[in-house]
Amino acid sequence: MAVEIGDKAEAECKSNQEIAVTRKPIGYVIPVLRLLTFAATLSATLVMALNKQTKTFVVATVGTTPIKATFTAKFSHTPAFVFFVIANGMASFHSILMLVIELFGHKYDLKGLRFVIIPVLDIFTVALISGAANAAAFMGELGRNGNSHARWNKICDRFKKYCDHGSAAMLVSFIAVLILIIITAISILKLHKRNSTSYSTLH
Amino acid sequence: METKKKHLKKYAILFPRLLALIATFLAAIITATSHEKARIFTISFEAKYSDSPALKYFVIANVIASIYGLLLLFLPLDNSFWRFIVVPDVVVIMLLSTSISAALAIAHVGKKGNYHAGWLPICGQFHKYCDQVTAGLAAGFVGIVVYLLLVLYSFYSLFHHSLHI
Repeated sequence: MAVEIGDKAEAECKSNQEIAVTRKPIGYVIPVLRLLTFAATLSATLVMALNKQTKTFVVATVGTTPIKATFTAKFSHTPAFVFFVIANGMASFHSILMLVIELFGHKYDLKGLRFVIIPVLDIFTVALISGAANAAAFMGELGRNGNSHARWNKICDRFKKYCDHGSAAMLVSFIAVLILIIITAISILKLHKRNSTSYSTLH
Repeated sequence: METKKKHLKKYAILFPRLLALIATFLAAIITATSHEKARIFTISFEAKYSDSPALKYFVIANVIASIYGLLLLFLPLDNSFWRFIVVPDVVVIMLLSTSISAALAIAHVGKKGNYHAGWLPICGQFHKYCDQVTAGLAAGFVGIVVYLLLVLYSFYSLFHHSLHI
């Protein structure tokens, strides 16, 4: 009877190994979401980095000839927007790297550490992008409404194109934050499920 | 012996949570009580934290984080909810990180001004207000660093807990 039980256990072990070997198909949810994140963060970076508007204003009138001065609004004037561009650039690099790893890197694994590092990096990127999008949003709100208590005038009524491009970039970046949160949640759930199923057959 | 070691580990987690609770609470209180009146050329200006929506958001986020920390202290140590503490921790981290980056962006404009937009720095006239807001932001930074380390530890223990069932 011990031999029978031993044979049954061996057959079960073999069939489990077969199941483990044939469980190859890549789910398409996460790679599609990562592609969307890459597209969103890349477009946010490019739109904000190329955000520039030059306008000439009449500053004063001397007699009958108006004196014109040229003002430029660029993203690099404000440190919050610079942080926004850099953070979105890093997030798009992270997205494309994770996408490439998931599609082509199934053979490379460092003692099972890979399945932990990916969600941790995702959490870092979520925090980075959310901070950057938020700082840019508050700076944009300051530019749109000004602050009467500190005597800071609004600039959006004069540089309309600059403000519109900036708000579009921020909107896209917030969409990227949302998708990244969904990706992180799915990765963590997959990690938990993978650990609890692969090690429950060891008992 | 096994339960004693587990209890020791849980007490080791509670101490950083207490530190984070104190830090976020201090950040909220210090920023909310920053208030200064100054006279410039016979016009009196007043600087409060509620003038800037970024600082208001910072105070509200830190209040939410400290209420969360306070509620967590009342959770009994043996409860199995401690495994899933990662989820509300990540939510609180996102709140804190967004609020502190927004407050820092606005405070940077207040301290250095923005030459291109014609925004003058206000720290030259309101020294006490600026110093107090800086102190509040520093406390908020400590809070979010401690929360980040806590969430990394919760994540690590979640991973290992499901390994060694």
